[in-house]
Amino acid sequence: MSKNKSSDSRGLNIIVVGCGKVGVTLIDQLSKEGHNITIIDNNFSKIQHLSNLYDVMGVCGNGATLSIQQDAGVETADLFIAVTGSDELNLLCCTVAMSVKDIATIARVRTPDYSEEAEKLRAKLGLDMIINPELESAREAARILYLPTVLEVNKFAHNNVEMVKFKIPEGNKLDGMTLIQLNRSISSDVLVCGVDRDGAIHIPSGQFILRAGDKISIVAKRKSAREFLYKIGFDTHQVKDAMIIGGGKSAYYLALQLIRAGIEVKIIEQDKARCEELSSLLPKATIINGDGTDEDILREEGIEDVQSFVPLTGIDEENVMLTLFARQNSQAKVITKVNRLTFRSVIDSLDLGSLIYPSFITSEAIIRYVRAKKDSMESNIETLYHIFSQRAEAIEFRVHKDCPLIGKPLMDLKLKNELLLACITRGESVLIPRGQDVLKAGDSVVVVTVHTGFTDIEDILA
Amino acid sequence: MNSSIIRYILGQVIKIEGALMLLPCLVGCVYGEHSWLYFAGTSAICILLGVLMTYRKPKSNVFYLKEGCVITAFSWMLLSILGALPMWLCGEIPTYIDALFETVSGFTTTGASILPAVEPLSKCVNTWRCFTHWIGGMGVLVFILAIVPMSGGSSMNLMKAESPGPSVSKLVPKVKSTAMILYAIYIALTLFEWILLMIGGVPFLDALNTSFGTAGTGGFGIKNDSLMSFSPYVQWVVIVFMILFGVNFNAYYCLVFRMFKKAFTMEEVRYYFIIILTAVFIICCDIRDYYETFGETLRHSFFQVGSIITTTGFSSADFNTWPMTSKTILVLLMFIGACAGSTGGGIKVSRIAIAFKTLLKELNSYIHPKSVKKIQFEKKPVEHDVLRALNVYLISFFLVFASSIVLISFENYDLETNFTAVAATINNIGPGLNMVGPTQNFSFFSTFSKLVLIFDMLAGRLELFPMLILFHPTIWKQLFHESKKQVS
Repeated sequence: MSKNKSSDSRGLNIIVVGCGKVGVTLIDQLSKEGHNITIIDNNFSKIQHLSNLYDVMGVCGNGATLSIQQDAGVETADLFIAVTGSDELNLLCCTVAMSVKDIATIARVRTPDYSEEAEKLRAKLGLDMIINPELESAREAARILYLPTVLEVNKFAHNNVEMVKFKIPEGNKLDGMTLIQLNRSISSDVLVCGVDRDGAIHIPSGQFILRAGDKISIVAKRKSAREFLYKIGFDTHQVKDAMIIGGGKSAYYLALQLIRAGIEVKIIEQDKARCEELSSLLPKATIINGDGTDEDILREEGIEDVQSFVPLTGIDEENVMLTLFARQNSQAKVITKVNRLTFRSVIDSLDLGSLIYPSFITSEAIIRYVRAKKDSMESNIETLYHIFSQRAEAIEFRVHKDCPLIGKPLMDLKLKNELLLACITRGESVLIPRGQDVLKAGDSVVVVTVHTGFTDIEDILA
Repeated sequence: MNSSIIRYILGQVIKIEGALMLLPCLVGCVYGEHSWLYFAGTSAICILLGVLMTYRKPKSNVFYLKEGCVITAFSWMLLSILGALPMWLCGEIPTYIDALFETVSGFTTTGASILPAVEPLSKCVNTWRCFTHWIGGMGVLVFILAIVPMSGGSSMNLMKAESPGPSVSKLVPKVKSTAMILYAIYIALTLFEWILLMIGGVPFLDALNTSFGTAGTGGFGIKNDSLMSFSPYVQWVVIVFMILFGVNFNAYYCLVFRMFKKAFTMEEVRYYFIIILTAVFIICCDIRDYYETFGETLRHSFFQVGSIITTTGFSSADFNTWPMTSKTILVLLMFIGACAGSTGGGIKVSRIAIAFKTLLKELNSYIHPKSVKKIQFEKKPVEHDVLRALNVYLISFFLVFASSIVLISFENYDLETNFTAVAATINNIGPGLNMVGPTQNFSFFSTFSKLVLIFDMLAGRLELFPMLILFHPTIWKQLFHESKKQVS
C-alpha cells in the first residue's frame, strides 16, 4: 500500500469529514488547488450533490467509524480534516484516523468550554491543528473595532505588520493622487498593495492614480499605518462601546476580547437561559434579554448613539437587515458576519461596510497548512490571507538560507505580473521593499498576488 | 444551457476521432491498400473541424447533467456519422445508411453487421470496424476525461451520462485519475489477449482485431463464420477474455491495489459468475447430443453463454440450430447483460439483482404488511433515488423495446426475427435468432427499420436517458434560444 493510489503526485490525498458550510468552502478551495479529496458525510443527498459539483469522491456514513474511514482510503491519505457540527465527533474522527496510521489531522473545536484548553488538548491528542472559526472571526471583528474607520485589518510578522483595507471617501486628499505622489507627500513607510475599483483588482504600480470610491489595501508597520490614516484624516481611536445582537459563541468570544480592551459591551439575546449563562461568563457586559430584531428594543438600547454595532445572529438575512437598519439610523461602525456563501455578489454590492466570513477564515487557516504541507521541505508559509473577496492572496513566506533569491537586488529579479512584494521583516525592523533591497536568510516576506497556489517564495519568479 | 461547452467538447471528440482514424490508415499503408486514402481524408476533415470547434474556449466550464447527456448523445451520433464516411467513400459498403449502421454497431459494441461477407473487405476497413468496438467499449468521453484537462466537478456529469450502471462510483477522488485508471486496465487486458492470441497462431492483425472486438464486447468477426473456424485454444482464450471484460472494472482496480477481500466479495461479480455457470450447465445438458466430445459441448456452451451475457456477439457455433431451451436461455441472457462498470451492455446484473430484491421485499410486505426492510446491495443500503431511477429505467427499456418491435414489424418478418433483432441491438449483442442469427446479417431490413435499430443501439449503449432526453422539447428550445442569442 506504500505506493500512492493517486496517479498524479501533485495533489495531497485529503479526507474531509462533514459537509457543512465550512466543509463546502474547504472542498471548493482545496479542489481548486488540485488535491485528491474524499468527503464523508451522513447525508446521502448532500454527498451526491457535492460530488456532482466538485471533482471529489463521496462516502456516505459516520466518519468516526473505522470501516467508513477505510472506504474513504484513510490508509493512503495525507491529511484528515474533521469539520462536522460536533466538537466531540471531530475529535473522535481524528483519534480514529490516527489509530489507523500516522496521519496529519485537523479538527474544528469551537465550544468555549474546550477553547480554553484547546492547545493542551491538541498536544495531548496529537492533532496537528485545532481550528475555531468563531474565535477567529471574533478576533477579526475585534481588530476592526480597534480601528473602526477601516474595512479590514490583517496581521503579519507576529502582529508587527498590518495590512489595512479602507475605502477612499469623496473629497479625501488621496483622490486623484498617484502612488509616487502619495509616498512623497504623505508617508514613505506605507505601500499600497492592492486596489479594488468597481470589482476589478489591480496590483498597482507607481503611476497608478487613486480615485474616491476605491477600496485600497496598504501594508505598513502597525504604528506607521495609524500615522498614515491620521494624516489622511481618518479617526484612529478604537470604539468606546459595542452592541452585539445574538449571544452565540462568536458573540461570547468577541465580547471577551472587547472587554479586555476596555470597550463597553452590550449583548442582546433572545433566550433567557443563554442570557443568564452569558451574564455569569461575562460579568462586565450588559446582557439584554429581548429580540434583537425588534426595532423598539434596538432604539431603546440606544442604537442611534452606539459607536459600533455587530449583528451576530445565526441567520445571514437577519444580520444583513440589521446592518442596513443600523446604517440608516446611526453613525455606528457596523461589522456583518455572513455564514452562507451564496449570493455573494449581492452582498458585496450592498455596501455593508466590513464583512466577516467565518468559513473563509477557517479555510484560510487550513489551506495555509495544506500548502505548507505540500512542500516537502519544512514549511515556509507563515500566514495567508485571501483579500478582496478571495480574488487576491497575501502570503507571508519565510526565506530559507538556501533560497536562490538571497543576495540579489529585488530590481534584478524577474517577477511574475500582478505581483508585489509588500514588506520584508528582518528581526525587529520592517522594510517597505525598494529596488535596491536584497533578501536575507531568515527574513519574512509578504507577497500580494492575484495568482493562486503559491507554496514557496521561489514561486514569485516568472 | 451552456452551449459553448457542448460545442467545445464535441470539437474535442471529433479531433480524437480524427487521430484514432490514423490507425486504419497505417494498416492500409502497411498492407498497400488504397482505401487508406479515404481514412486519411476523413481524418483530416475531422481534425480540421475539431480544431475549428475548439478554437474558442468555452465561456464557462460549468455544466450540469442535462448538458452532460446532450454532449454524450451528440458526440456518439457525430462519431458515427463521421466514422461511417470512409467505409462508404471507398465503396466497400455501397450505401451510406449501411455504413452508418455498421459504424453505430461498431461504436456501441453491438456487432450487428449488414455485410453478408466480411472477408472481401480490405484490411483497413476491417481494422476500423473492430477498432470502433474498442473505442466505444470504454467510451470516448471517458477517454477525453483522461487526457483533456478539464477543471471542476462538472466532468462527472459526462462520466455519469456515458458509463453504464445504476450508479457511477469513482475509483479515486479525481475524475481524471479515475478515467486514466480505467483506460490503463482496459489497455493492459487488451494487450494481454492480443499476445495470447498470437501465441495461438492467429496472424498479427487478426489477433489485434479480435482483441479489439472482445475488449469492447463488440463482436465484429473478421471471418464470415465469426470464430467458428478458429482452434479450440483460441476459442478458449476468447471465452476467458469475453467474460473478463464483462466484469465490473472496479474489481480489477481492487486486485491491482491488493484489496483482495473487497474484490472477491463484490456481490455483482458473484451473481455474474453464478448466472454464467448455471446457464452453461443447462445448455450443456440440453445440447449434449449435438457434439461428439464433452469438451466440445462444454466449449461451445461456454462460448455462447459468455458471448451473449457479456453482449459480445461472437459465435463458435450456429446456436440458431440448437434446441429451444438453449435458445431461450440465450435470449434471456441477452437481457441480463454484463456487470455495471464493464464494457458490456444489456440491463446489467446489478440492476437485475436489485430488481429481484425489490420483488422479494414486496412479496414479504404482503406477508408482514408492517415490516420495514431496506434493500442492501454490495453490503450497502440502496437509496430510494437509485431504486426509483432503476424502476424508471426498466419501464423505459421495455417501452423503447416494444415500440421498436412495432416499428420494424411493418416489414412483415416473423416475430422471432423482429424480437431478437431488437433485443440484439438494444442490448448491444449483435446476432439474434432466425433471420438475424449468427450466420445471417441485418442487410435485408429497410432503411427505416435500420434507423430504428440504429437508435436502439445508441439508446442501449448510453442507457436510454441521454438519447431519450433529446426528445424533450425544452432541450431544443434552450439550445436554439442560446444559439440565437450568440448570433445576435
